[in-house]
Amino acid sequence: MMQATDKQENPTRSGLVTAPELKRHGFFRNVFSGIKSLLEGMKVTFHYLSHPSTVVTQQYPENRATLKMMERYRALLTMIHDENGLHKCTGCQICHDNCPNASINVVTRSNPVSGKKELDRYIWRMDSCTFCNLCVQVCPFGVLKMDGSFEGAVYDRRLFVFTLNHYAGPAAGLLAKVADPEERKKMIEPRDRYSGPVPLNGQELAGVKALKKAESGCCGGSGGCCSDSQGSQGSKEMK
Amino acid sequence: MSVHITTLDDRVRLRQDDSSPLSTQEYFVNMGPQHPSTHGVLRLVLKLDGETVREVIPVLGYIHRGIEKMGEHQSYRQFVHLSDRLDYLSALINNWAVSMTIEKAANIELNDRIQVIRTLMAELQRIQSHQLWWGVFGMDLGAFTPFLYGFRDREIIADIFEETVGARLTMNYIQPGGLMYDIHPGFVKRVKAFLQYFKPKLAEYETLLSGNVILQERLRGVGRMDGQTALSIGATGPVLRASGVPLDLRKSEAYGSYGKVAFDVVIGKNGDCWDRYWVRLEEMRQSMKIVEQLIDNIPEGKHMVMKPAVKIKLPEGCYYNQVETARGILGVYIVSDGKESPYRIHLRTPNFNNLWAITETAANWRLGDLVAILSSLDVVVPDIDR
Amino acid sequence: MTGITENIWQAKTVAQRAAEALPESVWFALGYMVLGVVGVAAFIAVLGMGLIYAERKIAGHFQCRLGPMRVGWHGIFQTVADTLKLLLKEDVVPAQADKFLHILAPLFTLLGTILVLAVLPMSPIVHVSDVNIGVVYVGAVSGFGVLGILLGGWSSNNKWSLLGAMRAGAQIISYEISATLALLVVVLFSGTLRLSEIVESQAAGWWIWRAHGVGIVAFLLFFIASLAEINRTPFDIPEGESELTAGFHTEYSGMRFAFFFLAEFINMFIVAALTATLFLGGWMPFHIGDFAGFNAIMDMIPPGLWFTGKTAFLVFLIMWFRWTFPRLRVDQLMRLEWKVLLPIGFANLIAAAVVVLFNFYFFPVR
Repeated sequence: MMQATDKQENPTRSGLVTAPELKRHGFFRNVFSGIKSLLEGMKVTFHYLSHPSTVVTQQYPENRATLKMMERYRALLTMIHDENGLHKCTGCQICHDNCPNASINVVTRSNPVSGKKELDRYIWRMDSCTFCNLCVQVCPFGVLKMDGSFEGAVYDRRLFVFTLNHYAGPAAGLLAKVADPEERKKMIEPRDRYSGPVPLNGQELAGVKALKKAESGCCGGSGGCCSDSQGSQGSKEMK
Repeated sequence: MSVHITTLDDRVRLRQDDSSPLSTQEYFVNMGPQHPSTHGVLRLVLKLDGETVREVIPVLGYIHRGIEKMGEHQSYRQFVHLSDRLDYLSALINNWAVSMTIEKAANIELNDRIQVIRTLMAELQRIQSHQLWWGVFGMDLGAFTPFLYGFRDREIIADIFEETVGARLTMNYIQPGGLMYDIHPGFVKRVKAFLQYFKPKLAEYETLLSGNVILQERLRGVGRMDGQTALSIGATGPVLRASGVPLDLRKSEAYGSYGKVAFDVVIGKNGDCWDRYWVRLEEMRQSMKIVEQLIDNIPEGKHMVMKPAVKIKLPEGCYYNQVETARGILGVYIVSDGKESPYRIHLRTPNFNNLWAITETAANWRLGDLVAILSSLDVVVPDIDR
Repeated sequence: MTGITENIWQAKTVAQRAAEALPESVWFALGYMVLGVVGVAAFIAVLGMGLIYAERKIAGHFQCRLGPMRVGWHGIFQTVADTLKLLLKEDVVPAQADKFLHILAPLFTLLGTILVLAVLPMSPIVHVSDVNIGVVYVGAVSGFGVLGILLGGWSSNNKWSLLGAMRAGAQIISYEISATLALLVVVLFSGTLRLSEIVESQAAGWWIWRAHGVGIVAFLLFFIASLAEINRTPFDIPEGESELTAGFHTEYSGMRFAFFFLAEFINMFIVAALTATLFLGGWMPFHIGDFAGFNAIMDMIPPGLWFTGKTAFLVFLIMWFRWTFPRLRVDQLMRLEWKVLLPIGFANLIAAAVVVLFNFYFFPVR
């Protein structure tokens, strides 16, 4: 074996560090050095016992107020909505294509007024998402971002299926061109967080508290809020 | 020459020797798939004679996810995130391995900034992985406290990653053509703070565990494997180096920025558990040396040389590339038929080969030694099964 | 010398009180007996919980953690909650297990600890029964513990359990020798087997320092051997979590697991208390020979407190070991006993005999 013999010839060859050999001594020296090594180890642990400031435990639910996740932390996919509650998604489906495990489903529709293709539902399945961040990266319009709200635990798997957009309709840029507010209202239709193909609106789940409208965290302020649409949405799904 | 295939059933059939009333019987016992020291769902069938291990038969497949097969249905860019899930303790290095293979095949030139950041990240990941291993090693030998110290220090690197990468375990950060993000403005400061923090802690590791007479007695001469055997089973990484073979791809192939930094390859003398233990501890020191040299010299540049949405197509052919992960050589073999996704991907994972050292070394040692040997091999089971 | 203490504290065991009360009223005597039994039982429960809480808290701080923090102030009721949980859990007995022995084993283990507690002089008055062969009795009944472990490992019908039980058997029987050798040193010094008299014989000073190093060696021997007997780290190979999953109690759950667990912690207390009794004077205050003034100051601290302090210190030491050291291997454990501790033990016993023969300790009494 080449390398090994090479090494034995020049044990001090630069670029190599060799592990030290453990030596055995006589009986009493072994006993005493052994006891000494044990005491040294005990000193280390005692240092931590006697210095409570070294405790690193975080008292999690209590420290919620001070707990801040890093800004890039990937926990919850969100669609960025501006102050008017408008998003920039055009429904181009690049994220849909790039998702490695089909966690994203971009459903498009043609606009009832203009007839153009636009976003209907942006469905994200948190339960199959691996948080690889590819969707955020590939989006040409910067529509998506990963949010740091990591407390995603729920009691029902269906609650992992989100509709990310707050409304179905054209992207913010297109919508801005429409001057008439009446026309605008006709072009968009509100979308609730849980109004996707796995609906929860208006349904009771065994052991799960019914979702309050405020909890579902919908609608920034786009047009009419969920209140009226939810009912119709729910009933539509039921039929 | 006929090939005789031995199944597990054949091997566990007992031969009973009733010639003497005092004859003892060897017996089989399943260690795992649920066992505290197999670190996951590894199953070892042990042939025991009392406490003495006569034979170890690893049985795999309990966490097979078909990552190689899944790779055939994913684009090259998508496959990177699956490599996180091989050896999750060196996720960034795995990302790098896959990305580098793709880049070499597609002739993507990278700038220095990308290379230096990749090297930095890989070394931090190596330290982190070894920290966790150190803790777990202590726990496997019955000392619970090192486990928590290891995790405590690992957390600081996890925070560094979290700040820049946005994830703590499954990174998907190093991508074909560059990096997902540029480093965070606080990265350099955090890394320096870590180096400052960790150096005295490493000395503490030495006092608490390395110097401990019980640990030394448990490791000295146990599970000896010479360089020849290590090479013949294809062991790589610290396991191979502990057997005295100075094979380190960071030195011999000098990918990334490794060619520009000074560091030593750590090797052992006897190939026993103590050497494997010490090699990893010293590697942490060497990694810190590398990080120290690079952290002040990150060149300017872009963090991505191509648009993330651009579809990568490799020209038809076979491509292989390998990197040194915290556990050894991870090789990525891609067969491309010119389409968007690979025709076939094969991964040469370090742990699969390193695990085989247990069959060579554990025989005739006690059950407690088997745990020490297994732990000194530092296997990550999802990397074995894929 | 013993006069000083006798005047201040009239040493009297509960059993003595019962015997004295017998001629006057049977009920009074019975009352004392019940007091003894109930006292020990209550003591075990409370002490067990206290020790488990202490261990978890101390372990936490050794490891830069906080330990239990949720139930009550700083998690003070955590062990109560855990006990309730264990009591309410389903008691699973494996289908292939020897059911009778499986159920019996934890009881045996606990029985050993209770019987030892009955003879421990915790203070002149907190002492259930003073047996005239106290030391021998302690050595004998603590053997019940290993019986329980062996039965538990055997009856579980699990190879890991059996391995753990066999390890425990080999280990405890081996280390019993060293423990006994160290014990004999104290018996030589004090010339009695009665625990209360051993305590009183240390009125001029504890045996650990009065015998020119022989006492210290005997103390270390006894302490190490006792650690091995109660399966504490670094000698916890019968449980050997990372090797044998949980050793002999792999197949135990709920109540029966709690019994093993409780016995382990009570054993820790017993070892600490016994070591304190034999080498650190038990409830005897820190006296230095004839320095009456100094001794009188020391006497102001009540003996119960002395005993508690010494025992608590030793218990802390045991916990400290556990949260610092790795575990020995099974053959190294045997080597340590037969090749290191046993020769030292024999040499020490001879040295002790010489010391006694020439009356060569500090402040000789006789």
